[in-house]
Amino acid sequence: MSTIRIPFGPQHPALEEPINFIFEVEEEKVVNVTPRLGYIHRGIEKLAENRTYLQNVYLAERICGICSFAHAACYSQAVEELLGTEVPEKARFIRTIIGEMERVQNHYLWLGLTAKEMGFETLFMYAWRDREKMLEILELISGKRVNYGVNTIGGVRCDISSEMLEEIKDKLHQLEERAKYYKSVCTKDQTILKRTVDVGILAPRDALKLCAVGPTLRASGVARDVRSDYPYAAYGEVPLRVVTYKGCDVSSRILVRIDEIPVSIGIVEYALENLPIGPIRVRVPRVVPEGEAVSLVEAPRGEDLHYLRSDGSEKPARLKVRAPTLANLPALCKMLVDVNIADIPVVIAGIDPCIACAERVIMIDVESKKRKMWSGEELRRYAIEWYQKR
Amino acid sequence: MMISSLIKRILGKDAQEILSPREGRLFIRISREKLRESVKRLAELEGFSHLSTITGVDTGSEIELIYHLSHRDALVSLRVFVSKEAAAVPTIVDLIPGASLYEREVHDLFGVRFDGNTDLSPLLLPDDWPEDIHPLRQEWSLERINERMREK
Repeated sequence: MSTIRIPFGPQHPALEEPINFIFEVEEEKVVNVTPRLGYIHRGIEKLAENRTYLQNVYLAERICGICSFAHAACYSQAVEELLGTEVPEKARFIRTIIGEMERVQNHYLWLGLTAKEMGFETLFMYAWRDREKMLEILELISGKRVNYGVNTIGGVRCDISSEMLEEIKDKLHQLEERAKYYKSVCTKDQTILKRTVDVGILAPRDALKLCAVGPTLRASGVARDVRSDYPYAAYGEVPLRVVTYKGCDVSSRILVRIDEIPVSIGIVEYALENLPIGPIRVRVPRVVPEGEAVSLVEAPRGEDLHYLRSDGSEKPARLKVRAPTLANLPALCKMLVDVNIADIPVVIAGIDPCIACAERVIMIDVESKKRKMWSGEELRRYAIEWYQKR
Repeated sequence: MMISSLIKRILGKDAQEILSPREGRLFIRISREKLRESVKRLAELEGFSHLSTITGVDTGSEIELIYHLSHRDALVSLRVFVSKEAAAVPTIVDLIPGASLYEREVHDLFGVRFDGNTDLSPLLLPDDWPEDIHPLRQEWSLERINERMREK
């Protein structure tokens, strides 16, 4: 039988972000997959070497729009380790709270996108409507819906006051109720079951061999979670259950995430009840002593790693970021082998890919050397000029 | 048994330097020749299946590669140094298949060759990127890359 090569992406209606796969197919079955990244490589690791430690908190936050908090927390922890700074207890709790809130909004967002890939648009709209509640809570605490700017080196910048508690608890309760409803939908609805059960299989052995992380790994029955393996922030003091499913398919990946929602809400409620009193940040010196640190955080999509090296100056000598999506790509390619062409989008959605996270290297403006902030209007004008010149 | 003494026993004299800046973190220096053997011995250990990533660092005169392997009790970082002129190490893809993209990433950005890895095609850089520019090497400052790209 002859093999046909089909390019998928970087621009494709079923993908939100630019990535390219070359699928080799025989009739309706995928027999081989080759991924290609690089379409939104922004040079963040290089840029980090040209920024101060504090500026890099905000840079790290912008690696990803959805798990922005995880990256900023991971980076801050690495700097704090090099400085030998003890973060105040209250800050550790607030980091845990915001981290879990981010996980809940991420899982709702992901559930919606996956439903969309299945063609179940109603579920997509319901899930995104409910996600708004979590964004409202985050806005209440930090003033922003995404890129919260909560982290700083030495603690956090936003406190949670007692006036906020009632509204937060009320919304958390609603989100927990909705998660129960989605669980019943995703375990009973025939459309979902037919599209997800036994689709995109990743055997536990392969998941380990290919170094998968996060919910993708846990849906293959492997109970690994940075929060319990290497506790950071206030993990270790809050009730945490690592959710696993043994189905190894897209359905299990959905259920792991839906079950993680009440676990996260439980952690937030516990942390709010037991919120310590005291300062939320300590002052830190600008210059970081020589040394190196590896920081790990369980981002909503899985293990996030930041490696930081200091040469004793105001700027890092090296910042290396490995976001969870890159770790899950080899596993994704394995899952895609043997699926039907029609199932490709839902299997890709299954790992919760964030391509912006997976890429961070170099972007050079060859037109002008200047670094400049552009308004939307300037950007538009530039685009018009550019096209006219052509 | 404590993880650090377990590793000392397993790697023996191959571990040239062992640092533990904090609990749960180990940095071990090994020679280039012993890299595959060390990774293999660690990968066979219970609970040592996961390679988090490979970090490249330009130390000025050499390229340092750090293999972050996680164990239940500690994150173990194996450190290898290679010269800039002949930057090459043996691949570990056959031992840990999950290393494939990490090796390509380091190859793109630092120009380190992984001997035995059959697919080192560009992963992150554009197809027409000049072969001699390794953007994360220190001699390639933002300005220098900029100049070079403008010449084209």
